[in-house]
Parts: sequence; C-alpha cells; structure tokens
Amino acid sequence: MADIKISNLHKEFGVGDDKVVALKNVNLEMGGHVFVSIVGPSGCGKSTLLNILSGIETPTSGSLAITQAGAKAAPGYVFQAARLLPWRTVMDNLLFVQADKSSETRARCQKYLDMVQLGDKGDKYPGELSGGMQQRVGIARAFSIEPDVMFMDEPFSHLDAITARSLRRELHSMWAATKKTIVFVTHDVGEAVELSNRILVFAQGGILKDDINVELDFPRDPSDEAVAVAKANVLKKFEELDLLAT
Amino acid sequence: MTDVMTESAQSTPQSPRRSTRRLPPALRVLRSPRLARVLFLPAVLIFWLISNKLIADSWGFDSSVLATPIEVWDFMYAEVTGDTVAPANLYETFGISLRRLGLGFVISMTVGTILGIGMGLSKAVNAFFHDWVMALLAMPALAWALFLSLILGFGDKGPVWAVVLAGIPFVIVNVREGVRSTPSDLFDMSTAFGVSPLKRIRHVLLPSLFPFLFAAARYALSIGWKGLVIIELFGGQDGAGWTFKFWYDAHRLHGVIGYSMFFVIFALVLENVVLEPISRRVFKWRPSLNQPDIVEEDMDVVKYPALAGESLSDRDTIIQEKN
Repeated sequence: MADIKISNLHKEFGVGDDKVVALKNVNLEMGGHVFVSIVGPSGCGKSTLLNILSGIETPTSGSLAITQAGAKAAPGYVFQAARLLPWRTVMDNLLFVQADKSSETRARCQKYLDMVQLGDKGDKYPGELSGGMQQRVGIARAFSIEPDVMFMDEPFSHLDAITARSLRRELHSMWAATKKTIVFVTHDVGEAVELSNRILVFAQGGILKDDINVELDFPRDPSDEAVAVAKANVLKKFEELDLLAT
Repeated sequence: MTDVMTESAQSTPQSPRRSTRRLPPALRVLRSPRLARVLFLPAVLIFWLISNKLIADSWGFDSSVLATPIEVWDFMYAEVTGDTVAPANLYETFGISLRRLGLGFVISMTVGTILGIGMGLSKAVNAFFHDWVMALLAMPALAWALFLSLILGFGDKGPVWAVVLAGIPFVIVNVREGVRSTPSDLFDMSTAFGVSPLKRIRHVLLPSLFPFLFAAARYALSIGWKGLVIIELFGGQDGAGWTFKFWYDAHRLHGVIGYSMFFVIFALVLENVVLEPISRRVFKWRPSLNQPDIVEEDMDVVKYPALAGESLSDRDTIIQEKN
C-alpha cells in the first residue's frame, strides 16, 4: 500500500498558440488500501495524470511523491491495450518486467497467471490469444512485480461487455487479496462505482472538479439498487458540474 | 432476415461456387491451381520447341545453333557431374562467387545496419547521408561493374565491392525505416515497469527491427548477386558470371541457357533452403506464419452455458440472474 501526494501538478503540451493545458494545478492525496477511479470527459487529462504518476511523462511544474513506508514506491501499470511483446510467450512477457528469472520469480508469475485463469497459457504467444485474454496477461504482468501501487488506464474499454465484467470481478478479487493501492482511469461511471471507494472527477483543462467517496460494501453488483443509485448520484454531479455537455 | 441474406448470396452472379457447378465433374480439375502449376513446365517446353522451329524456318538459321531442351538438360547434367570443358567446374565456379557474395553481404549488412540505425535515430545523420543513399540506389549495377573493374582490376576486390555497393543502400533504407517505426507503446510500457535500457534494446528494439533486417538481407543478397554476376561477366577472371560469358563466347547457347538455369536454381535454393526456414524460426510468433489455433475466450461460456446463441444484452441479463 502506497501513499501518493500531488502538489500543484501542472502539465502543458506544445508552445505558443499551440499550447494545451492538460493538467491545471492539481492537488491530491491518496493512500492505503484504496481503489481510486479518475473519471471525466475525453481530453480532461486523466491519462496524462496517470502517465505522470507512472513516470512515462514529466510534469511541467509541481511535485509528486509516491512512497511506501517512507521509501520510493514500486508502481505497476495496466494499459488501455495490453502492450505485450508479440515475439515473447505469455510467461516471457511476465518475466520481461522482473528483476530476475529465478525459480521463485517464475513461481510468482505462474501464481498471477493462475489468478487470471491463464495458468495453462504460459507458452502461448500473444497473437494466439483473444483480446480479453491478452488484457488479462497485462493485468497478471502488473501484479506479478508485486507493486506497491497499481496504475490502470481504461484497461477494459476495448473489451466486450461480458469479458469486461468478468475482468472487473477478477480485478476486484485481486485488489481485495493483495491490498494494493489502485489508481484507475475510466470514462465509464458505472465501472467506477462498481470498483472504487473514491472517485475523482476531472473537467476539460485538467481541472479536478470533485472528490467523491463511494461508501458501499464490496463486492458490488451493477444490478443492485444501491449501486444504481450511487451511479445516478455521480451522473447527477456530472450534470451539476456541467460535464455532460462536454 | 437470415433467409433473405442466404437467398441474396446464392443469387449473386459473381459467386465462384455457382460458376464451378456449370462444369461437368470431369472438367472441374481444369480449375485446380495445382494442375495449373504442374502444366506450366510442359507449356514452356512446348513453347520453346515451337519457337526454335519458327525461328529456324523464318530466318534461315542453322537450327543446330538453337538449343533444345534435351541439349540444355545434358549440359546441366554434365556440369553437375563435373564433366565440363570450362576452366573450372560448376562447384568451383559457384564456390568462388559465393565466397565473394558472402563477404560482400556481411560488409553491406554490418555497415548498412549501423548507418541505418544512425539515420533512423538522428535527423542530422539522416540529412548527411540521405542524398548519397539515393544516389547509390539509382546507380545501375553495370556502372559499378565498369567503374570497379577499372579501379580495382580483375581480382576479388571488385566483385566484393560490387556486392557491397549494390546491396548497402537497400539495407540502410530498410533499417532506417525499421528504427523509425519501432513501437513507442512498448517502450513506454518498459519505462513504466522500470526495465533497463540494455534490456529494452535487446528485447524491444532488436526484435522489432528483425522484419526490416530480414527484408534488408533478402534485398542485399538478391541485388548483390545480380551486381556480382555483372562485374564477373565484364571484369572477372573466374566465377559464375565469367563462366556464363565463357559459354557465350564459345557460341554454345545450351551453355548460356544452362547457366541461367543454375542461377535460377541457386536463387530458389537460397530462398527455400536458407532464408525461408530462418524466417519461419525467427517469426514463429506471427500467427499468420505458423497458423496456430487461436485460443478463444471460453471462460464465459463455461461459466454461463446459457450464453450460447444469445445477444449481448441477453447475455448481461443471464449473467445477472446467474449471480
């Protein structure tokens, strides 16, 4: 479980007339065994924030600290597309991000492949798997390094409804079992309500508009009335913040 | 809806299945691609014999000047068994040329890969070499043959340099494009997981370059071989190109055609015995090449047997009810 502290984080792309503000002076704190979802319309800076958190991009200004018991925390990342090396087998894709290839490491990778129900697919190449299975490999890869914090960028947005639902359940089970801090970007409010205990709402221009706590018991069933009401409340907030028009 | 679509598909006039039905079963074999491939060789032989006859009749040639398929076959058989009047037999001749081709190929791949990577990574390096690479691409192999024969003489150096200069621009261009199209999303993934730069080069950059390196190698070999034969023909003392000219100078058409056939056989052996197996091994991860069974998502059907044949919204309802 990691602690994340973001102070006056600002990110701009381009120069002069082409300058675009992706994040505007964002201040945030999160930590512990939480599942935080970031929602908002397209282009509101959700993915940019995640890329900065994971080190893929650097901020224009501001500071960022991701710590685990005072030391720098180790992050894991699940991308929108699985981003697997097509020339390496499933097991080798997991081993690629490990520090070593010891028998303990292999056993750990196998454990997470088992958790995503792909324990017998370690010797397959990504091209031999369906899109949903590839995304599960991506999730297993991220968990296999046993990170302190997990960043997930719309990981289920490319999948069909049934596969996405199955993977959401698997993800929730893994989060409950591993006690990780998860930061999850999505444009699907229902998905955010189903998975998270905290929802951050961003608006165009990279402005953090709202910070909502979802106080419902897990696991959550989307067909449950309480979940449906929570989703409606979040959408109502969207309307109040004038985000639906964007 | 299904009935209408089925009927529509069957009534399409361009449907190949329908046109096949018009043929009697005994004649359907004529449409077989395999038969077409088998028929090609006899068709060429018949065309060859008829052409010989027509040329001899219309221009008053002594028909013995023209080579028949049997004469070419006998020549090739004699060459293969080492029975030749040429200064070197087939194996010595191809040995000399292959040594030159191999050396030139290694030089062009090594230097071309280094320059291609430099040009792909740096705009300044690309700007420096770009026009020269284009000039090399435009230079005909014949020009290299004459130029190199004049400045390097009739030894091994000229042919080796001809292979290098003919092949290297193709290597440079392919590798440069390979570097430019390296998958940035995989590099971002590596960064996010803290993978070391050396590991990234070895496991991301190099494998992503393999298709381009392989294409470069094919070009370097085929274009280099053509350049080699031409310089051996014009400025050589031995080798496949020189022996080809030996049979030309001897006015033995069966020798010229026979050696041409050896060139074709050499190209086919190189492709099917050397390049293709390497390609299959290196690119075994590509589904299109090894054609594995795509492992389909079966979890939901196992968990929810009632899903089979249902629409997506129906499936959601079934899952909700099941849970």
